[in-house]
Amino acid sequence: MNSAVIEQLEQAIGANKVLSSPIDLIAYSFDGTFEQHLPDVVVLPETNEQVAAVVRIASQYDTPVVPRGMSSGLAGGSIPVRGGIVLSLTHMNRILEIDEENMMATVQAGIITANLQAEVEKLGLFYPPDPASVKQSTIGGNVACNAGGPRCLKYGVTGNYVMGLTVVLADGRIVRTGGKAIKYVTGFNMNQFFVGSEGALGIITEVILRLICKPPHARTALVHFPTLEDAGHTVHSVLTRGLVPAAMELLDETAIECIEEAMQMGLPLDVEALLVIESDGADEESVQREIDAIADICLETGASRVDVARNEEERAELWRARRSVSPSLAHKAPNKLGEDITVPRNSIPEAVRRIKSISAKYGLPIVVFGHAGDGNLHPNILFDKRDPEQWEKVEQIVGEIFQVALALGGTLSGEHGIGTFKLPYMREALGPASINIQWRVKQALDPQNILNPGKVLPEP
Amino acid sequence: MNESIIAPQRSAEEEARYCVRCGLCLSVCPTYRESLTETDSPRARVALVRALKEGLLETPTDEYSSAFFRCLLCGACTFICPSGVAVDRILEMTRGELAGQGLLPQALSDLDDRITEYRNISAEKNEGRLIWADNLPTPPTGLGKKRAEVAYFVGCVSSFFPRSYKVPQALVQILDRAGVDYTLLGGAEWCCGYPMFINGEIERARELIRHNVETVRAMGVKKVVTTCPSCFHFWKHSYPVALGIDDLGVEVQHATEFLADLLEAGDLELHEIRENVTYHDPCDLGRKGGVIEAPRRVLAQIPGLRLVEMDENRDSSHCCGGGGNLESFAPEVSKAVSRNRIRQAAEVGAGTLVSACQQCERTLANAARAERLRIRVKDITEVVLEAMEE
Repeated sequence: MNSAVIEQLEQAIGANKVLSSPIDLIAYSFDGTFEQHLPDVVVLPETNEQVAAVVRIASQYDTPVVPRGMSSGLAGGSIPVRGGIVLSLTHMNRILEIDEENMMATVQAGIITANLQAEVEKLGLFYPPDPASVKQSTIGGNVACNAGGPRCLKYGVTGNYVMGLTVVLADGRIVRTGGKAIKYVTGFNMNQFFVGSEGALGIITEVILRLICKPPHARTALVHFPTLEDAGHTVHSVLTRGLVPAAMELLDETAIECIEEAMQMGLPLDVEALLVIESDGADEESVQREIDAIADICLETGASRVDVARNEEERAELWRARRSVSPSLAHKAPNKLGEDITVPRNSIPEAVRRIKSISAKYGLPIVVFGHAGDGNLHPNILFDKRDPEQWEKVEQIVGEIFQVALALGGTLSGEHGIGTFKLPYMREALGPASINIQWRVKQALDPQNILNPGKVLPEP
Repeated sequence: MNESIIAPQRSAEEEARYCVRCGLCLSVCPTYRESLTETDSPRARVALVRALKEGLLETPTDEYSSAFFRCLLCGACTFICPSGVAVDRILEMTRGELAGQGLLPQALSDLDDRITEYRNISAEKNEGRLIWADNLPTPPTGLGKKRAEVAYFVGCVSSFFPRSYKVPQALVQILDRAGVDYTLLGGAEWCCGYPMFINGEIERARELIRHNVETVRAMGVKKVVTTCPSCFHFWKHSYPVALGIDDLGVEVQHATEFLADLLEAGDLELHEIRENVTYHDPCDLGRKGGVIEAPRRVLAQIPGLRLVEMDENRDSSHCCGGGGNLESFAPEVSKAVSRNRIRQAAEVGAGTLVSACQQCERTLANAARAERLRIRVKDITEVVLEAMEE
């Protein structure tokens, strides 16, 4: 990189906010996957204006800018694959306002999602989206990937809570979209336009989020299923009877084994699947009635046992276990590739069956877990990347898993995004017309292709 | 809690390979939480070890080294890691390799030289270890005793730094009132070796370890009691490994364990202390040393005392800022970490923060003063003594 770029960045935002030593560049070269690429420089802006100044310098030198929060993404989205400037938003982590009457929070993009949740909960408010990375991801990253999580079954995903955004555009202009007005049809829906855009259309620096009242009561059940098939069927048996649990999470036998190895919490090792089902609400009795009704349905549809957490501690432990699945896979193999396909809900058993047969065909373990209630599965392939033969198989397996999703009417990603990992499959998933108009949108906003280039959309 | 680098199971590079880079460790790392810069995170430190192995970095530099010494070795990352990566072991082993390559930061290599020369961390004559006993109302009965059931291993900080004298002063008064048969080692006590170990110079520590063990054995000691959590952790978990034996031949207890048994036996009368007290788990005692309930059992014996826990307690405790020799290397980071912890105590409305470590007591008391918070900071031995007095 031209040393003039670094000098200009230092002048614009202060030398202590610009990192370029080899050690710093390595620290900012990866995300939650095994891929890595060094940036040329890292910037740590603290204001919208500083972000804009960085983008203007990038534009002047035609250099990529890769925005990131805590870089826990699972699709390579925040890796600077073409070098350039990594723009870390972690120093923009303030809560600007919690508006209790309108039940909205305005925050800077770099706030850790769990920290925001803790602050609003002190006021009896609630921000529901709960990606597994809730403690190590930021609101900005969550919006840019439209993060989901277990609770999204009942409460919706990140995008459903975005009321307004402040976005720095590729030319350095700062634009505000939406606002606190609940109904807002003035012009195109610009909020949703940036939701899930993975930093390729603009850099999200502030977010206005809708909040709800915190449901004071929750009951969580751990349901044992001798067959994975029955677990799949149970999901829509519950939902089609008009019950809307807060979450219905599926863990297959390998996932159970991994958690057990990591946490020794006494999970059953003789079942094919577990469902973690949570019911919550404002009224204790109706929450209890709902979890009882769900338990009855489970037992009718093939569950061998239902254990309802007896207290908050047991409940927290169940969720800690669920959140640990993905990283705990390291107990089985040094590398994992976690996919994020979604299928129509009634296709879950079929999807799982096909994935298991792919696993058998290639002889590599594939762990399946995920948000069964909304058809979002996380098949994780376990392997050792140092073995070229295994790596080759992994690439084939990934392709076949996507084929399963598409054939069943589903798609590539439910909540992780496309990043670089799923890029080769985009044309098939979306078709030429959709790719074309999306690319034209990208060009209109970022004609130099400097914002997170090489991500989300295949270049023409 | 894991075995030390003295007998590593996997090399640092091998261990690092199991990091999936999920980033969960960032959420508990005191240095990351303070700087919000990835370079100060456990995940980045692990990535650096890998980068060197995989050729992304050619040779370790001072800057590389500083990434590993800008760390408190508090072990929060290792405890939370869902992939089971022993991050603390990676850090300890890497510090060892760096020390071997002459990349130990100057302040830390000076510290190790000082210990070798003076047998303590303070550069004062080692015979002066018992100065704190001079101005007690009556001389401690353990003074100069040649043989005893219990040896109280005071530790360098409480022996040489006047502001920590109150810790051994309180403990010996309690022991005397309880009629415990104990001895103080005086000049025969050498630095436990832990500072050298965490500076990566385990070989230099071995001489100290051998001396200390031989000393207490020769006195017929059955039990070594420490007030310093680092001395405790090192004696209990690393001494046997360093000497290549299964059993030291003496039991090692932290003072909180000893006091919990003593107080629960009911022979000592304790008076009421009506106060909201929070307990700060020292990293080397709790998460790393495995002593979590004993101090709480001690506090539970004091009538009227109400224990209010901070959100981050027990295994999930947040470092006081005094760990890992960081104070000698990056005092400003250390201070910021202390500040963050004392604020947690303020949030739960504690009137007093009690710890069981002379280091935590000092760093957190300083932080309370700097933050102008009305929280008293005390060592648990002081609180017990206070409850014993009219």
